[in-house]
Amino acid sequence: MHLVSRGSSTRVPASPTLGRRGFVQLLGAAGAVSLAGCAGPGSDDPGRQSTAASLDADASGDVIFSHWRAEDQSVFDELLARFAETYPDVELTQDIAPSADYQASALQRLRNGDSGDAFSTFRGAQFNAFAEAGVYSDLGDLDLVGSYPDELATIGQSDGKQLAVPYQVVFLDPVVNLDLLEKAGVSEIPTDWDGYLAMLDALRGTGAVPFGWPGGDTGNLGQLVNTMVMNNAPAEDMFTQVGAGELKLTDDWFVTTLRQYAELAPYMQEGVRGTLHDSLLQQFAQGEVAIIASGSYAIAPSRAAGAEFPMDLAPPVTVAAGEARYVGVHNATFLLGVNAASENQEAAVAWVDFLSQPENAAVYANSTAQHVGVEGVTYENADLKRLERWLTADTLLAPRFQLLDLDVQAAVDQSTVAVVGGTSPEQAAEEAQAIVDQQIG
Amino acid sequence: MSSTRGPARRRWPGLRRDAPYLWFVLPAVVLYGYFFALPVLQAFQYALTDWDGVSPDYDMVGLDNLTRAVSDDSLFTNALTNNLTFLLTVVVVQTLVSLLLAVLLVRNSRSSTFLRALYFVPAILSSVSVAFIWSFIYEPGDGLLNQAWSAIGLDGMRSSYLGEPGMAIVYVGLVQAWAHIGQLMIIFIAGLQQIPGELYEAADLDGAGRWGRFRHVTWPLIAPATAIVVSYTTIQSFKAFDLILGMSGNPPSRSLDILSTRLYTTYSDSELGYAAAQSILFMVIIAAVTVLQRRALRLTRQEG
Repeated sequence: MHLVSRGSSTRVPASPTLGRRGFVQLLGAAGAVSLAGCAGPGSDDPGRQSTAASLDADASGDVIFSHWRAEDQSVFDELLARFAETYPDVELTQDIAPSADYQASALQRLRNGDSGDAFSTFRGAQFNAFAEAGVYSDLGDLDLVGSYPDELATIGQSDGKQLAVPYQVVFLDPVVNLDLLEKAGVSEIPTDWDGYLAMLDALRGTGAVPFGWPGGDTGNLGQLVNTMVMNNAPAEDMFTQVGAGELKLTDDWFVTTLRQYAELAPYMQEGVRGTLHDSLLQQFAQGEVAIIASGSYAIAPSRAAGAEFPMDLAPPVTVAAGEARYVGVHNATFLLGVNAASENQEAAVAWVDFLSQPENAAVYANSTAQHVGVEGVTYENADLKRLERWLTADTLLAPRFQLLDLDVQAAVDQSTVAVVGGTSPEQAAEEAQAIVDQQIG
Repeated sequence: MSSTRGPARRRWPGLRRDAPYLWFVLPAVVLYGYFFALPVLQAFQYALTDWDGVSPDYDMVGLDNLTRAVSDDSLFTNALTNNLTFLLTVVVVQTLVSLLLAVLLVRNSRSSTFLRALYFVPAILSSVSVAFIWSFIYEPGDGLLNQAWSAIGLDGMRSSYLGEPGMAIVYVGLVQAWAHIGQLMIIFIAGLQQIPGELYEAADLDGAGRWGRFRHVTWPLIAPATAIVVSYTTIQSFKAFDLILGMSGNPPSRSLDILSTRLYTTYSDSELGYAAAQSILFMVIIAAVTVLQRRALRLTRQEG
């Protein structure tokens, strides 16, 4: 049988009869099959090894180290070269994703074992998400865990398992220009709120902006809340309780904190709600701003921007003299873990073990100008040496990272911005709590 | 038997005729289906669940995600409001300024070619670069704009720009317009150059002034270009994700949160099912706004 097209004498080969309904059914069936074949809700977990392989001196094979710190690529290259001397049969490469995309993109690849035999995570929401996704293997039986002090090692624990080790330690406290402090006639950082405000008054006399805060930079503006609540809150896990609905942002401790933000506002720079951290860093490096309210991670880029003055931490203690429980805040981050779906766990464990040895951790610390979680490291960088005493001070583990929901975290941050912009502390607290209530249901 | 099969065969004779040729388009259809249609279908599937994006378990929640976004999520409503403000700013500024530039630079002379190239330059910059440049222009301390105000003695105009809750999204809208005006100016110039000169001569003979010539000749005849510009600008305004994140960080402040960034934050909060529901509403809103705009443009042309 031949079909003849209308209006044409061209003969075409016979084909099976396909009606419109049949065509639509065929498309529908193809769509359904494709949908069913795609990974989606209810996808099965790939096979996993929940306990990490033991350290093997003869480890070999290809290993991918996934992280987000592009700025550390060169120091990791240096460490990779050293690692290759000890483990010549391991071929290790870095897989660096931008930090903003890391959680979204890396997690899927890690789950499949496509990348990240060894990998890093942020403390807080990201670590929890990765732990819940089951991508970590338990490092609990490995000697490398002993390289970290117990109080830091607990940060990498979940459900009683040691899933990661915190490689980097930062102090999320304001940093002060000590030359300007001396010029202002202040010899010591005050340890009470009235003293702190008096110090800011004295710093104003130097002509510099006393207290620089990056209120327009969502990645950095929230660091200040860590120190502002450390002595005001009724419990160490205050933000965990906020997330659970057990404490409210409208409670006295948080409203008091917001009032203290309002007291700080007159000491801040012009246009504080729109200021970015990079811009503030430049002003701090040039001596135009006396205190930069972000964290110790601001020191290295300030040096790069030309700052030559000595620096120290200047955490605001928000209570009266003698009432402070904490003198500052620290955070342990860049948590290193081994992928449960990795096919080459021995080599991945060897890499994490290598990084956890003090001599190698020292290379990382001195190159990046960041303290590390590893014990027994000798710091050669002058700034690290000056701040080393803070490693043993009574500092609180940064509480802001207890806020696991980004919208709740943003609600807390934005309430501080609103108060600095002139909103009453009570109103800002109520608006923030309304978002918390909405998010936690 | 033949009487019952006959009409069925006549229903879609073209398809039967062309069946052998369909194999040629099959690869493109499969690729399109897999990479475009399927994700959209999956979004509908996910929107009915509370899947977090990684867990093997999930629950069907029916239409809860959609009703939550519409009636119980002030952050989504805030993002929608911001997005509409952003849209209005970008569409109005971008369309008017690009049309004005096109009218001024429509003649092919050396100077207008140079100026067209100059105005087009921002269009070849990545959004991240644009965000970086304008972050420093808008910087409240020593930013270029505040310095300029001070230099001409208008200190009262100094502002914190992106730190102004009510105006921040408008300032970002102006950046978006700055980045794309040159590109849309080219579309308008192409449309203007298609208009026969005789029509302007006829309008002159009828005594039409500059405004009359624009209103009765130019505007109706560049309607297709205007429709393209407005539709493109609308969709672009809803998708201005990288510019917002570049200027505000992730997640953006409430005053800069738009629908695309809201989706991303929801997704980052491990609420993939809810993010999928928001994305469906996002599609519906874009479609509705585009249809409304096209109708409005048609009405404007009829009036012209």
